[in-house]
Amino acid sequence: MTGLALKNVTKSFKEGDSTVDALKNVSLTVEPGDFIAIIGPSGSGKSTLLSIAGALLQPSSGEVLVNGTNIGEMKETDLSSFRLTDIGFILQTANLIPYLNALDQLLLVRRMKGKVTSKDMEFARTLLNDLGLGQKLGKFPNELSGGERQRVAIARAFVNNSNIILADEPTASLDSNRAFEVVKQIRKEVKDRNKAAVMVTHDERMLEFCDKVYRMEDGVLTLQA
Amino acid sequence: MFLAIKEMKHSKTRFAMIGAIIMLIAWLVFILSGLGNGLSTLAAATMKNIDGDLFVYEEGSEAAMMKTKVAGTVADDVEGQYGVDNAAKFGQSTIIVQNEVVSDSKEKNDVTFAGIEPGKFIEPEVVEGKQLDANDPFGVIIDESLHEKGYELGDTIVVTSSDLKLEVVGFTKGETFNHLPTIFGNLETWQSYAFAAPGSDNGLENPVTMIALQGDSIDGEQINANYDGVETFTKSEAVMGMPGYKEESATIYMMLAFLFVISAVIIAVFFYVFILQKTQQFGVMKAIGASDRFIKNSIISQVFVLSLVSIIAGIALTYLTALVFPAGMPFSLDFKMVLIYGVVLLIVSVLGSVISARQVTKIDPLTAIGRVE
Repeated sequence: MTGLALKNVTKSFKEGDSTVDALKNVSLTVEPGDFIAIIGPSGSGKSTLLSIAGALLQPSSGEVLVNGTNIGEMKETDLSSFRLTDIGFILQTANLIPYLNALDQLLLVRRMKGKVTSKDMEFARTLLNDLGLGQKLGKFPNELSGGERQRVAIARAFVNNSNIILADEPTASLDSNRAFEVVKQIRKEVKDRNKAAVMVTHDERMLEFCDKVYRMEDGVLTLQA
Repeated sequence: MFLAIKEMKHSKTRFAMIGAIIMLIAWLVFILSGLGNGLSTLAAATMKNIDGDLFVYEEGSEAAMMKTKVAGTVADDVEGQYGVDNAAKFGQSTIIVQNEVVSDSKEKNDVTFAGIEPGKFIEPEVVEGKQLDANDPFGVIIDESLHEKGYELGDTIVVTSSDLKLEVVGFTKGETFNHLPTIFGNLETWQSYAFAAPGSDNGLENPVTMIALQGDSIDGEQINANYDGVETFTKSEAVMGMPGYKEESATIYMMLAFLFVISAVIIAVFFYVFILQKTQQFGVMKAIGASDRFIKNSIISQVFVLSLVSIIAGIALTYLTALVFPAGMPFSLDFKMVLIYGVVLLIVSVLGSVISARQVTKIDPLTAIGRVE
């Protein structure tokens, strides 16, 4: 099966002598073509959930299936190459590499895998063109606006053609208009390319673009009507 | 390599400054090696030029020229025995000379007077004039550097504090001994000068300073055992025994070793700080799937490129400065040595960066998630 599935996932952290459950028995399924949102206050466990779904953290118990692979059983060293091929991250405030231009940001991800072919180059250009950055391929992050930077980050998440897209507060540092623009574009790419996408946000204005909205509170995930 | 080059192009000033430091260190290393090379030539060129396999000194002399006297008869005796094909006698004294022809200057020069047997293998080739002749006891071959001080072919050299007068018959080059230019003359002439005082020959027959032996498999042990008061040394021991040679080269090598350590530490520290600054960036790269190896490779290749370019610039700078050094300075660059030190410096720099790059492993990709700036 493709897509993302979390089954009864619990994650606990040691904090001094006591143990804190950041996630309590969380289950979530995202099918390809689905764009879901997770909202909730700070400290509710949203980021932990995203980190576990994105193979950055291992769950304390439960199963995490990405494209049918249980990443809970993977070794630390295999996880980085798994993230590279199977997961696309859109991080907050873009988090681009300051000394690479827009096109190179995308090619870097291809390079982590090996050689860059002219086909990769073409795909990267197409992605940036789709996102309206066709004229900005050679611009460095400091020469782009916040919205443009976020769009480069979106393109970067899609460049490896991975089936899962995870977005961590993609609109955190944007004004309303730009934020709408960015989320609409994520939605468009997700639908066009048939990806399973999860967006963590505390910006409730963005929810109208999502297929389903979950609410996270104190480590418990509930579907919002 | 991709990241390494892109970053260097983007932050030119930062990398130019580190590059400049590596270049200056390389420059210092090459200048020191040139100086070491020049000094060792000055200290022991004549000794190094002797094509001998084993050297006979006085027992207990530790191959030090100042401490040895041996009987020349040993040379005549060992030739053809113990695997010795050729034996050549060598005597040396430090003398002060004056040019009689240019008498108005009254300038005095310190030189090494080497007494040798004409035609034997110790005798250097002349570049001008003629070789020594046993029938011309006062003819001498002198080092070219004396040419610059006004000595010409046919000039008469007055040896101070004695009534000895010598005549320049030829010039040779690259012959210095104990930091002084060498004058080669007949052994008998030297003996009559060196042992003018009664008893100064220690009662030895045909006394000389040292005997150089040629032969593929000389039995030094037998020579030591069969002759009283002699001890044989290898060529490298003999060179080490030259006055000041060991001390000078030890000083230079110690400085070079320190420079290598310093450059490794500087590179390691610089890149340690760089990596600390870029923790967030590397965290993001790891989150989107970069392996530790990918990031480490980019750091190490960056140091490699930076060091390579800087060291090449350092070599160029060294040859430029060599042009403006005064002529008398004991400085001689050996390109092979420059190349070797350049490669060592490159390896040391890369090793320094390898140590720093290890901390990339400790960067947690989780730093990229859930942080609002």
